[in-house]
Amino acid sequence: MNLMQIHNLTVQFGGLRAVNGLSLEVRKGELLCLLGPNGAGKSTTLDLICGKTRATSGQIVFDGQDITGLKEYKRARCGIGRKFQVPSVFKDLTVLENIELARSPRPGILDALRVFRTPIRGRVREVLQIVGLIDLVDLRAGNLSHGQTQWLEIAMLLAQDSKLILMDEPTAGMTIQETLQTAAIFNALKGDHTIIVVEHDMQFVRQVAERVIVMNQGSLLAEGSIAEIEADPRVKAVYLGH
Amino acid sequence: MNRNNTSDYLGHLVFVLAILLGVPAALGFDGFELNTFARYLSLAIVAAALALSWGTAGILNLGQAATFGIGAYVMAMHLKLVASAGNPDGLPDFMGWNNVTSLPWFWQPFQSLGATLALGLALPALMAWAMGIFMFRARITGVFVAIITLAFLVALQLWFIEEQRFTGGQNGLTGLAPLDLFGWQVDTYSLGFYYLVAGCLIAALALGTLILRSKVGLVLRAIREDSQRVRYFGYDVAGYETFVFSTSAAIAGWAGMLYALVLEFASPTYIGVAFSLAIVIWVAVGGRESLVGAAVGAILVNLAEGRLSDLFVESWLLILGVGFILFVLFLPRGLYGLLRQGFDRLARLRMRAAGRDVKPQESAR
Amino acid sequence: METIINQIFAGASLASILLMVALGLAIIYGAMGVINLAHGEFVMLGAYVTWALQSFLGMGLLAALPIVFVTIAAIGWGVERSIVQRLYRRPLDTILATWGIGIVLQQLVRMGIGPESRFIAGPGILSGNTSFGNVVLSNYRIFVLVFAIGVFVATWALLAKTEFGRKLRAVIQNREISECYGIRAEKVYALTFAYGAGLAGLAGALISPLVNTTPSMGTYLVVDAFLVVVVGGVGSIFGTAVASGIVGETTAFFSMLLNDTVGRIGVLVAIIFFIRFRPQGLLPQIVRR
Repeated sequence: MNLMQIHNLTVQFGGLRAVNGLSLEVRKGELLCLLGPNGAGKSTTLDLICGKTRATSGQIVFDGQDITGLKEYKRARCGIGRKFQVPSVFKDLTVLENIELARSPRPGILDALRVFRTPIRGRVREVLQIVGLIDLVDLRAGNLSHGQTQWLEIAMLLAQDSKLILMDEPTAGMTIQETLQTAAIFNALKGDHTIIVVEHDMQFVRQVAERVIVMNQGSLLAEGSIAEIEADPRVKAVYLGH
Repeated sequence: MNRNNTSDYLGHLVFVLAILLGVPAALGFDGFELNTFARYLSLAIVAAALALSWGTAGILNLGQAATFGIGAYVMAMHLKLVASAGNPDGLPDFMGWNNVTSLPWFWQPFQSLGATLALGLALPALMAWAMGIFMFRARITGVFVAIITLAFLVALQLWFIEEQRFTGGQNGLTGLAPLDLFGWQVDTYSLGFYYLVAGCLIAALALGTLILRSKVGLVLRAIREDSQRVRYFGYDVAGYETFVFSTSAAIAGWAGMLYALVLEFASPTYIGVAFSLAIVIWVAVGGRESLVGAAVGAILVNLAEGRLSDLFVESWLLILGVGFILFVLFLPRGLYGLLRQGFDRLARLRMRAAGRDVKPQESAR
Repeated sequence: METIINQIFAGASLASILLMVALGLAIIYGAMGVINLAHGEFVMLGAYVTWALQSFLGMGLLAALPIVFVTIAAIGWGVERSIVQRLYRRPLDTILATWGIGIVLQQLVRMGIGPESRFIAGPGILSGNTSFGNVVLSNYRIFVLVFAIGVFVATWALLAKTEFGRKLRAVIQNREISECYGIRAEKVYALTFAYGAGLAGLAGALISPLVNTTPSMGTYLVVDAFLVVVVGGVGSIFGTAVASGIVGETTAFFSMLLNDTVGRIGVLVAIIFFIRFRPQGLLPQIVRR
């Protein structure tokens, strides 16, 4: 069953078509990897899905609803979460406050006015334990190490409990050990959550990906399992042709 | 949501006690002195209103005086009508001088005290709400908010002066009647009036603090840091900004109503650039992160002005200017920030003294 | 027909004054992201220096111009070194600090020279009017217009054609990397601030025969000039020039159609809408990170 369908999506910046007639489907509960050389339009595709960039033409249908024209916050309420390439947590807030902010089942003002504290239990506790930040809840996020910051952002996405999670290079800057741990988390998440990952680290992709899509020059080039992709001559041409 | 801040609660308690007991006692329950202090307290309310939007959400509203001034005019219009009850048609004197023959429709509601009190809060809030939607939907932030609010303030003041027939122009509204608050003849030189203003200040601070301690406060602080990121968690950033902007305006209007009561007139200088920036100065001195801090800043600066400008008539503004520059340069978090730092250091010392090892993560601070 | 030409000239005259005041502000804002609310006070000081040179040394306005420029530039340099340079990372705080500087400068003049309005004579050779048919134009206003254009061209050349301009543009684009190439960014900033202040001083000297010279004359000038800068687009002095022209002419037009106050309100409201829909300004060029 499909969670999201993208039809003929195009976005134009000046003369450049960063994404050009892209069509793809995302199945519920799968982990999809987006690969492609620099400038292939992978990050832009994520931007288009989460609403950071508006499409010039084409359509995005998420969970049966056309979201192409929705604002970012409305898409987030539909169940789309995003992790950015540069870790973006709120440095002035504590670890717990970051999680509380992300955990937003009712993000309206009137609801928020009635919430005074989120106790550390249930999902919040679980998420903090998964990423190993449970002892640091009162620390300002600005004082975390780089790896911990990445973890915190992943924890925020988990707390947000989105149906679809978009990850832009989640392992950038992580040590091998941390990358392995991240892969373990992702494998545990598959099934309950649908995840799209943009990643360069092939080691990581082999560990987590069920299905891979390769993009080139804004369009879909190849699609299949990791083994199929690695054997595909067109993909080789794109990567080695430069 | 700053929990676990015992020092904050302690500070609030000290402030409330000082306002309710300390000040009246120190002033010997003298009516004249209390009236002057009530003026400072009403200015403290508008300072807290600015801190609500500036300190938390980072919305620097250079036009805060606009909402304050509207509150003041609303109250003055009511009192003017009461004072003009004996005139033919109940028409205020200045309207007669400007050949206005009947009371215009937008003056009519102010015959009633209830409507006046409601409009004194609602008009500024509505105005801010419209401006908020206008600005925040377009994702106008930072310096541009400051410019738009400043330009709006200048335009509003010019308009109030221009429409002399209806607003009293440059003179403002003078010759007001004393307020009859549901049967209580308010004597602005009495202890009762002082407690009315003090009660309003404490209520406004409590309301603001409640908002900031709720999740709304958390979302606003996050917006100040990275508004774009907040949107991806499903929060309607423009909605939150408009909410805090309007709430701040309503509180400022409330302060304006009290201010017009204390001074017994309303003047276009209340809607002036100089006054608006003065509010910013008080907040910066007290500390923009804390509503109580901002209120204390307003009281201290005005107290100093009241005391020092008698001694140094000429150089008071000079002292204020230099002092303000020094605050911006060396104490950007204001007096509140200074206290906060002191408390944090104290807490850390106490922890160390209790023999607890400082955790490795904390040494990173 | 004559009314229209007179009207256009009145607008151009207003625009030239706005341009003189706004140009310095635009350079400072564009280069450093500093909103200098003390700029109006630099203008005011320029007028007072002219007044002092005229009444104590008998110096004419034209002869005073270079001295005014250097004096106010020196004051600007001092302000930058002592206060503004500490706030480059806190743009909203520069609004506050420069407002404080403005209060101080204003009050110093009020205490030192007095709050009353001072008279400054225009240059003798530029008194009188020139008439074209039925259209009568003041010589001095024509001079101000031409002078403002001259200053604008000189400023453009300074930024586009000189070594200093190249360094400034480099620092605007990337301060750290520029410093790696041996450009001393703080010196460039200080000189730019001084230059902007000097221009404000010149503006003050030029407008002193046309307006009331009082300690508080700068307050409203700075608001207007700042709006012009924002409408023009951050960092674009061409934008500033175009915006001065538009705002000057519009103000004159509204004033003729309605009255002065309503005209000003109309322009302010128009500017608010403009900023809302085009915060990047008319001609955005240099983008500060």
